[in-house]
Amino acid sequence: MPPLLMEAENLTVTYGSYAALKKVNFSVFEGEIVAIVGPNGAGKTTFLETVAGLLKPKEGSLKFRDRNITKLEPFQRRKMGLMLIPQEGNLFPSMPVKENLQLGAFFENKRSTEEILNRVYRIFPKLQDRTRQLAGTLSGGEQRMLAIGMGIAANVKALMIDELSLGLAPKVVGNLLSILRDLRDETGITLILSEQSIKALDVADRVYGLEAGEIRFTEDAQQLDRDLIKSLYLGA
Amino acid sequence: MVLQGLITGIIIGGILSLPVMGVALIYGVTGILNYAIATIGTFGAFTTWLLLPYGLLPAILAGLLTSFVIGFGIQQFLLNPLIKKKGNDLTLFFIITFGIATIVAGLTKNFFPRPTISIELPKLGTLFIADVAVDINKVIAIAIAFSILLVMRFLEKTTKTGKSWIATSQNLKMAKLVGINVEFVYSLVSGIGCILGFIGAFFWGVLYNLTVNTGWDLCFLGYIIAIVGGIGNVWGGMISALIMGVVISFAGYWLGGMWQSVALYVILFAILIVAPKGILGSERSV
Ligand SMILES: Nc1ncnc2c1ncn2[C@@H]1O[C@H](COP(=O)(O)OP(=O)(O)O)[C@@H](O)[C@H]1O
Ligand SMILES: [Mg+2]
Repeated sequence: MPPLLMEAENLTVTYGSYAALKKVNFSVFEGEIVAIVGPNGAGKTTFLETVAGLLKPKEGSLKFRDRNITKLEPFQRRKMGLMLIPQEGNLFPSMPVKENLQLGAFFENKRSTEEILNRVYRIFPKLQDRTRQLAGTLSGGEQRMLAIGMGIAANVKALMIDELSLGLAPKVVGNLLSILRDLRDETGITLILSEQSIKALDVADRVYGLEAGEIRFTEDAQQLDRDLIKSLYLGA
Repeated sequence: MVLQGLITGIIIGGILSLPVMGVALIYGVTGILNYAIATIGTFGAFTTWLLLPYGLLPAILAGLLTSFVIGFGIQQFLLNPLIKKKGNDLTLFFIITFGIATIVAGLTKNFFPRPTISIELPKLGTLFIADVAVDINKVIAIAIAFSILLVMRFLEKTTKTGKSWIATSQNLKMAKLVGINVEFVYSLVSGIGCILGFIGAFFWGVLYNLTVNTGWDLCFLGYIIAIVGGIGNVWGGMISALIMGVVISFAGYWLGGMWQSVALYVILFAILIVAPKGILGSERSV
């Protein structure tokens, strides 16, 4: 068993008096690909943004690399190697593609940034043709690519991507997923993917089912009973 | 006569553009309209005046540093915690920064031995533009005002800190996620904004008289100019400051001093009717 990388204990997050997450327990091991699936409004975004530090939990704690990070600011968590690509608003629209990627690699020095950007360009050759185009003028698919490129450029220990497949054709999603799996196999990066669709299950090692702010199940992806997934969406 | 008015106008406009750029910079990055930067800058200029016996350069540096530290400190220890608690509440920050301006103006009055000062620079001679004589110090003032805009744009393009403040102004959430310490960026930018307020007040003190109320004058003029140029828009603020400087200058010549502010408001209303977001529009979209 690889070592534990991240752990959420009894995490409760509220918007006003509404609890979007209720005593959520969650853990990820190093090098794992974990998928969080659940219907719209289940609390996936709330969970990921809490882990990244954008939202503060009302109760519970977060641990990353054996450190309690519950009170840390987002930039401090990012510095420790934890990065979130949010589901929307994940680019700097009036900056060119290249500057977006450079900001993704914020903590790298000049030389390693060049190397990392070249790695991103190898994965997404389309971005290399458009280094000087403003991010806001890219097509939807290209913007998604750039956002994920920023996540890769971050060169972090754990990368979280919220709604990877949002607004993308199934074939593109399939490609992105295999790219991410290759990346994990190559670098040992830990990936946490949230998905409304169940496509992410194809590459995940483990799956969390989230519904109405509560974890319904945790399963190994291979052993996952598809009926369990169905019940999540239809309401068991 | 016309040329003289134009030159005076450009000089006034150039100086006024400094606090306006400060406001634009801070607003663009933090989303807060900080009403205190001109009064803080005036406090800094009084500091410079007080320390002039120790040499011009040390005195200027001391004024600059004082303004920066006050601006940085207020943002870091008062405004940032408030943003965290209350979010970006425009009315709240109007009241708070206005209150800070009042306190700083009061401190200026009590702290310095004289309420009206004038900062003497070494005489560098005069320059003739056509047949109008212009004090070289005025030319330097205007050159510095214009080059600061370029310096700021240069910093934004070439330094990590500059890129961080652009990133923060474009997408706050993503700025936090890529690893930018946005609170520090806010404080830094507020400090720099107050330095711009200082440079404006300093030159005001060189060319005219500086009083405790100059901070307020610069503040109100600055806001009219900022609105006309498009709040948060640095270039718009610059153009607007020049137009307003010329308006002030000619209104003073042809209509008399009391009509200067009337003329400013007439222009303000006219421009807001034609272009509600100011000449170049507001740069901040969030
Ligand atoms: N800013 C907010 N204010 C109030 N309620 C919110 C806010 N953001 C999300 N919610 C609510 O919290 C619940 C979980 O939302 P979210 O985390 O976005 O779910 P998901 O990402 O799984 O679709 C939903 O019921 C949603 O309406
Ligand atoms: Mg979501």
